[in-house]
Amino acid sequence: MKVEGTYTLPASRQEVWELLNDPNVLAKATPGIKQLDPQGDDTFKAIIEVGVGPVKGAYVGQVSIADKVPPERMTLKIEGGGRPGTIKATGELRLEEQDGKTVVAYSGDAQVTGLIASVGHRLISGVAKQMVGEFFRALEKELERR
Amino acid sequence: MVISHALGARIKRREDPRLITGRAIYVDDLNFAGMVHAVLIRSPHAHAKVQSIETSAARRASGVVAVWTGEDVSRRCGPLPIGPRIKDMKAPKRFPLVIDGIVRHVGDPVAVVVAASLEAAHDAAELVEVDYEPLVSVQNPETALAIDALLIHPDLGTNVCFRMTFGGGGVDAAFASAEVVVKTRIVQQRLIPAAMETRGVVAQHKGGELTVWTSTQIPHVVKTTLAETVRVPEHEIRVIAPEVGGGFGSKLDVYAEEALVAALALALGRPVKWIESRRENFIATVHGRGQIDDVELAAKRDGTVTGLRVRAIADLGAYSQLLTPGVPTNTGLMCCGCYRIPNVHAEVIGVFTNRTPTDAYRGAGRPEATFLIERVMDVLAAELKMDPAEVRRKNFIPAGAFPFKTPTGATYDSGNYETALEKALDRVNYTALRDEQAKRRQQKRYMGIGIASYVEITGLASAANLPGGNWESATVRVEPTGKITVLTGTSPHGQGEETTFAQIVSDRLGVSIEDVAVIHGDTRAVPYGVGTFGSRTTPVGGAAVYVAAEKVRDKATRIAAHLLEASHDDVTMNGARFLVKGSPDRAIDFKEVARMAYKAFKLPPGMEPGLEFLHFFTPKERVFPFGSHVCVVEIDPETGEVSFKRYVAVDDCGNILNPLLVAGQIHGGIVQGLAQAVYEGVEYDSEGQLLTALFTDYVVPDATQVPPFELDHTVTPSPHNPLGAKGVGEAGTIGATPAVVNAILDALAPFGVKHLDMPITPRKIWAAMQSGL
Repeated sequence: MKVEGTYTLPASRQEVWELLNDPNVLAKATPGIKQLDPQGDDTFKAIIEVGVGPVKGAYVGQVSIADKVPPERMTLKIEGGGRPGTIKATGELRLEEQDGKTVVAYSGDAQVTGLIASVGHRLISGVAKQMVGEFFRALEKELERR
Repeated sequence: MVISHALGARIKRREDPRLITGRAIYVDDLNFAGMVHAVLIRSPHAHAKVQSIETSAARRASGVVAVWTGEDVSRRCGPLPIGPRIKDMKAPKRFPLVIDGIVRHVGDPVAVVVAASLEAAHDAAELVEVDYEPLVSVQNPETALAIDALLIHPDLGTNVCFRMTFGGGGVDAAFASAEVVVKTRIVQQRLIPAAMETRGVVAQHKGGELTVWTSTQIPHVVKTTLAETVRVPEHEIRVIAPEVGGGFGSKLDVYAEEALVAALALALGRPVKWIESRRENFIATVHGRGQIDDVELAAKRDGTVTGLRVRAIADLGAYSQLLTPGVPTNTGLMCCGCYRIPNVHAEVIGVFTNRTPTDAYRGAGRPEATFLIERVMDVLAAELKMDPAEVRRKNFIPAGAFPFKTPTGATYDSGNYETALEKALDRVNYTALRDEQAKRRQQKRYMGIGIASYVEITGLASAANLPGGNWESATVRVEPTGKITVLTGTSPHGQGEETTFAQIVSDRLGVSIEDVAVIHGDTRAVPYGVGTFGSRTTPVGGAAVYVAAEKVRDKATRIAAHLLEASHDDVTMNGARFLVKGSPDRAIDFKEVARMAYKAFKLPPGMEPGLEFLHFFTPKERVFPFGSHVCVVEIDPETGEVSFKRYVAVDDCGNILNPLLVAGQIHGGIVQGLAQAVYEGVEYDSEGQLLTALFTDYVVPDATQVPPFELDHTVTPSPHNPLGAKGVGEAGTIGATPAVVNAILDALAPFGVKHLDMPITPRKIWAAMQSGL
């Protein structure tokens, strides 16, 4: 499953970069996140609750950030599992400043197993797109607050 | 044999009242004091290394009695059976749970949790943590064949289970000198058997006996193999197939869970129950079909077929189950269909993939053979601009040529293929229908007419490759009151032999059908038998009942003669009464003979008491039912929707014992065959995740999605059994798929569409109409 797109945030690239590297912001902005514990070395233990159509459940896993080139790009690696199956995903974020705003280009690829794959496959891309949208809108709110 | 009032009569199935009023007892209806429940933990990956299985939390959970992994199993269980013996076949050992730390398909079981309640078992199962390291999986059977392909079973050194060739004559010369050559590539998609009742097992070890209730088609074979797998002497095992809610071949198998539940019951000293969920049924019960066929036909311009080349690659899935490799070999054997083709070469290659194993499914290799030959005959007709009926007529094996040996090694017992086709064509008024089609095309209405002529095998006789052999047993036991108990080694799951076998006995012994009980499916009650599959119930199991009843009749006549002080030759049977020729006042009832057989003070000298015979019937040869189906469709050019206008099936299953049951078998068969053509199809993603994992994504049609059927018959008795009958359980499925696909492609001919892969959905049709594939 692939997800791709861009989102424009009304802040400088440096501000956006800092936001994306703040665990507290990430914990607040990521939809369904129940817990995000830093483990050091840009690695987090995460518990996230997601519903994909009829397949609902909690996933326990690890999120790590790699290939950081501040404030331009980073790679996210996610591995987790729960009752409905497992998820293994990588995503890349690229930040570009345009007229004082920052365009975040994201692209990700995920492999899923279990019920989320077999039952949720028709819905999962839609759910992923929606979650990405919610994430960036939450970041935007966070920027407004600051 | 003479078809009497009892045989050949339209008698309603005696088993139906209990089945449709919910009074039948299935495995899941069994409950015993102290019974515990098993839940399996299955791989979510198509191919992965099991790094660790953490079971301690599950073991501590409330109500849990046991948690087993492969280690526990390897100490207690031997391997499961792995298919028929095919020359140079390579197949991996398989065990009730994965014991070598590699899972090879989504659904491969790695652990089992047993608890006091099903809910506790499910809750504890969630506490089992399995750490998998995913491996690259092999999904495409053609990729699996490549020399550098990743090996699914490294010990075998190859992904190829077997290669087998069939044929004769000079194929290369036939193609070199052919006036016309046509080719087609056919994907016969995987199907999910989807029996109404999922599998289920209950096992109990008590009083020195291991009793296993299982939803199976072959209780005796399960008993014998369990003795080896769980190491209990066979005479201490009793296997019972209670009511079985359909199988279609998917329960013609010996499954991991049967051995696992038995081993658990032995180890725990408590009854253990496991009931398969529908999702498990989709990933852990065998799939059917799964073949890629490259087919080439050489012919003369007048339509005479001179050569056939087939290369069939069968997707066996991750393991060889009981008959897995045997199924596609039927395709090689039967690929000539109803035609006299002098030069044939068919290669069948069985390949392992990281998918659920395939095995027998209604027709088992014969639908694939029929589909490929019936499709390519239509491709030839289109190429030559000939009528598809004419191409078939030109090549049919003539009625006078039987028994007919095909170059692939099958000897067809009897047949009259052209008559069956003509009967079907008459019924649809074929010539007028073609005119109507031409007229409608001018009005931009797209009607299609599809023909499929088939021949198939029932009462399989290749004993070496069958579980348990190719005979069947029957006991006809006359009780002292004259009532009759029949014990059959067949094991029904919808076939209806409680009715048909009673009809056979009624016909032979003059008693009413109500006075005959047919008992099956309990290895303690019934002498060793083979089971129910391959449409063998009537031609093999029924023939056994017939011969046993004949033996009873002969002994009863001798007793009657002795009691009537007449010579044996002078005594005849009229209904349930013995008469002396020429002396109408000297007669004795069958019931009285039965009583005297057990009282035994006035028997002919040297005769044993009792009135009961056990007969093991072995057919001389396989029997080959045949027929022609014609399907008429119309396609909506706006939506690609197919509407079925007519469906005519003319089937020849030899003598018909009960027309109602034959019609029922053909109806169900056509629905399944038609479903493969337009509705059903297993889909995996590139990682081996099953995408059609529930009925929401896998379309099993209901009554509103199929047309009414018009059935007719020709009757060509088989010489190989005393009933002159051929099986009919799979015929409908075999004829339907090519008839429907040929009809759709005939309708689409004006668009230049030559081929569509099954299932042919409206979306595929619509897209093809736009582009003209």
